[in-house]
Amino acid sequence: MHELLLYGQVPAPRHEQVLKILAGVAAMQPRRVLERHIIYKPQRAPEEPGSHLRRGGSQNVTNRQTKQQGAKDLFYNQLVQKLSEEDFGQGDGYHQPSGKPLSADTEPGAEPKWSLEFQDIPDTGDRGVSIRLTTSTDLVSGDPHTWMVAAGPHQFVSEYYVEGHRFVHGNVIIFLHRVLHEPGVRSLETAPKTDLPNFAALQPLDPSSAYILEAKVRVQDFNNTAVLEAGVDELKAFQKRMKGCVDLELPDRLSLDTRVKWVPPPPPPTMRRAQPGHR
Amino acid sequence: MSGAETMASVALRPWPASARDALSKEDLYQQIAQLTTERGHLRGITEKALQDEIDAGKELPEDVMEAVEQEKKEEAPTARDKLEEIHRVRNEMATKLEWATFSAANALDLVAIILSKDPSKNLESAYSHKFKQQGVPPGSFGLDKTDPPERPADRQRLADTAMRQQLVMKGSRMEALDWATDNLLKAATKLETEVRKETKYWEETLSISKKGWSIQRTRKDGRHAPFAVRYGLPEAGNHFKARGLAPLRMDKDGSIILDPALALKPKTLRVRISDNGKITGASNLPTQSDVDESAIEKSIQLARDSLFEEEVFHEMSMETRQLLAYGVELRNSVIQLAAPGPSDRSKHRKILIDCIARDDNIPLGQDGSQDWLAQNIAEFLRLLLTHEHHMRLHRRSQIPPPLTQHKRQQSTPPLLRTLLSISSHLDAIDSLHAYLNVVARTLKSAGLELALEASRETSWVKLTDIIKESHRKDLSAIDQLLQTFTRPFEGTTALSLPSSNGAQSEHITVSTRTYIGQPHFGTEHKLTLPPSLISVLNLSNDQQRQFKMSSTEDVKSYLDWNLSLDISHTVLSKEYPGRTVIKSKDPRVCILSNGSKKGSHKEYAVSIQLENGILKATASNNMHLVTGAIAESFVWNGSPGHPSLREKVKSWVDRYP
Repeated sequence: MHELLLYGQVPAPRHEQVLKILAGVAAMQPRRVLERHIIYKPQRAPEEPGSHLRRGGSQNVTNRQTKQQGAKDLFYNQLVQKLSEEDFGQGDGYHQPSGKPLSADTEPGAEPKWSLEFQDIPDTGDRGVSIRLTTSTDLVSGDPHTWMVAAGPHQFVSEYYVEGHRFVHGNVIIFLHRVLHEPGVRSLETAPKTDLPNFAALQPLDPSSAYILEAKVRVQDFNNTAVLEAGVDELKAFQKRMKGCVDLELPDRLSLDTRVKWVPPPPPPTMRRAQPGHR
Repeated sequence: MSGAETMASVALRPWPASARDALSKEDLYQQIAQLTTERGHLRGITEKALQDEIDAGKELPEDVMEAVEQEKKEEAPTARDKLEEIHRVRNEMATKLEWATFSAANALDLVAIILSKDPSKNLESAYSHKFKQQGVPPGSFGLDKTDPPERPADRQRLADTAMRQQLVMKGSRMEALDWATDNLLKAATKLETEVRKETKYWEETLSISKKGWSIQRTRKDGRHAPFAVRYGLPEAGNHFKARGLAPLRMDKDGSIILDPALALKPKTLRVRISDNGKITGASNLPTQSDVDESAIEKSIQLARDSLFEEEVFHEMSMETRQLLAYGVELRNSVIQLAAPGPSDRSKHRKILIDCIARDDNIPLGQDGSQDWLAQNIAEFLRLLLTHEHHMRLHRRSQIPPPLTQHKRQQSTPPLLRTLLSISSHLDAIDSLHAYLNVVARTLKSAGLELALEASRETSWVKLTDIIKESHRKDLSAIDQLLQTFTRPFEGTTALSLPSSNGAQSEHITVSTRTYIGQPHFGTEHKLTLPPSLISVLNLSNDQQRQFKMSSTEDVKSYLDWNLSLDISHTVLSKEYPGRTVIKSKDPRVCILSNGSKKGSHKEYAVSIQLENGILKATASNNMHLVTGAIAESFVWNGSPGHPSLREKVKSWVDRYP
């Protein structure tokens, strides 16, 4: 599945107004959405760029043409948990942790709460909207964190919360939201919290508490040009319609990069000793 | 100030002419000037000359006559005379030309000598020959411009003119002020009426808005209809959504004119029940409520209602196209729907649905025995469309599936389908239940127990629980309730076999499912047979014990067959253990007589027949086979007081020991 995306920014004082305008445009009441995103990263370190290229001479038999494969990119993945207001902690941090592990168990007929989402880096195409490949897998049972750690193997990176409102206008999914996080040092945590903090204790990641307006069209038959064009046109029509209210723009491709960066290893300590000798 | 007072009485008319003889000096000058142009110099004008002229003027007609006569005489002037005349005229012309040349030269010289003041100008050539000879030095002639000395007469005249101009000024100012006043007054009145108009328009608009109608601005034709009222339902079909908007136009007084869309005759849905071609019930038409609402609000409401009812009818008439196979037809814009009921009277029941003008007075020449049914159906159809509207919003608010090549198609709301499936389901299951009750009573009278456990529709039984336990928090309870009607209906009936004893009873289960559409296309019964019947029916064990039948009559006869088999093969076999022989697959059992064990052929064939709720047992003795079977039979039809089947068979068997 591919996503066509446009983003806009709404400063906090205009949030109410934009919410009302969107309700009028979409002719529906906003739906409150609360989500927790947990980010995982593969435990394997990414290869050095260009390391697959053969250096120096080869002693292989020359007529054997081995296919030169590019280094496989490694991506961050995220688990998304749908939340409601009741899921958050009620007290002010004094309540007893329940110690229950995370559970994605869903009753038959109910909507699954947990899903694994993968987002590729956006296409390099020039269609006026950002296009990226995504996959979403619903988890219906088990402990999602344990599964995630075992499946990669992955390691926990961090978690954040998203609160906002969703509208649907034709095929355009409009999501007016902002990112919240728990203030404080987070690097020590190695697993997502099983007990959610109090909702009031969360702080917006952007200190000005501005909102992000995301307009998204999902396309299944990506290779069918007519379908893709229809999706792009619909998204652009929405962009045009919102002109003067919120400027929807094409996001920078690299800012949506989900690949794990290659960090060069620290230089070997012998180098240090060698340097004074040179002087 | 004093000037203004004197001006107050001034009327603007031509300057008053003074008496003819008292000519003022100015007038005299004018007269003289006029005379000079008309008659030449004053010297020639004497009283006598004037008198002569007057006399000549009097005799003008004669003069003209004389002139005509004289012309004839002068027709032949002599050549000498002519020559003289020509000479004279030539001389005259030459003189005049000389004078003209002289004057022109003089004037030119004068101008030239004046201009010669300027040394830069070379004017030598401009001088006439004569003037040059005189040798006038250049620049010797000056020119100055001065006002003429003011004469007393002029002063008087100027004062008069000034006075007159002032008066004219004042007069025209008065007139302008008058005109301005008139215009201002007119403008004021116009403004007042406009204000009144606007006020009235706004009042009415506001009162409409206060009643909860949504008012919106119109884009075009903003002058006469700045606002429009949206009375259509927001989720109505495209065609009806567009009709749900009427501009609020202003008439001369400012009150709102009825838009043609609002002034249409309101329509309403009418449901009638027809039994054997006779109308036995009709839904009530909505009552005309003319309470204190103003006309415009009432007509908006009527238009809204009418639009809704028309949409219900429209959706249903679209639906009839798919439902021809179910006996639904649209004839003369009346939807006819066959809905047979269980009773005899309603065997050929038809539901007639049409859309009629609201204020039509239809004579009610019918018995109103089925009015309740018609009314309920009408309300149900309206509720279903409202539900569909809610569901449209609900579906629209869900996250849409990713775009694919296949277009999502909008289905028509299931109004008639729901009605049809309810009627078909209830008909099937009620007739089955009625029949089974009759059978149970009959069997009971024959001493056999048949336990019935029946529900018409399983989800209706636990409706509140379903809604209470629902996960779909975004749907209101009423929508969840109505949604159960759009799903397949399922009714279950379980009947225990007469052979089974209390501890472990064997049940035949009939589940009746109704859905207009895939996969049932109507009502379908699914029978599940208990294991004990499998052996009776000689079915192999691994065979599926489920049978699907679409007609209720088939189910009835199949149940009859199964029950009679169960009675004959199981109940009677248990009664006479070791003495029964089952010879055929028919519900017929042979019972060996108790007494003679040694090769005797005393046996009774007892056959059981269950049909139309009547149990019939027939016993025949094969002893008399040669002479012809003597058959004894007994019939149970549900009335009490008969001996039980067991007793009866026992009596037959025991009769011939």
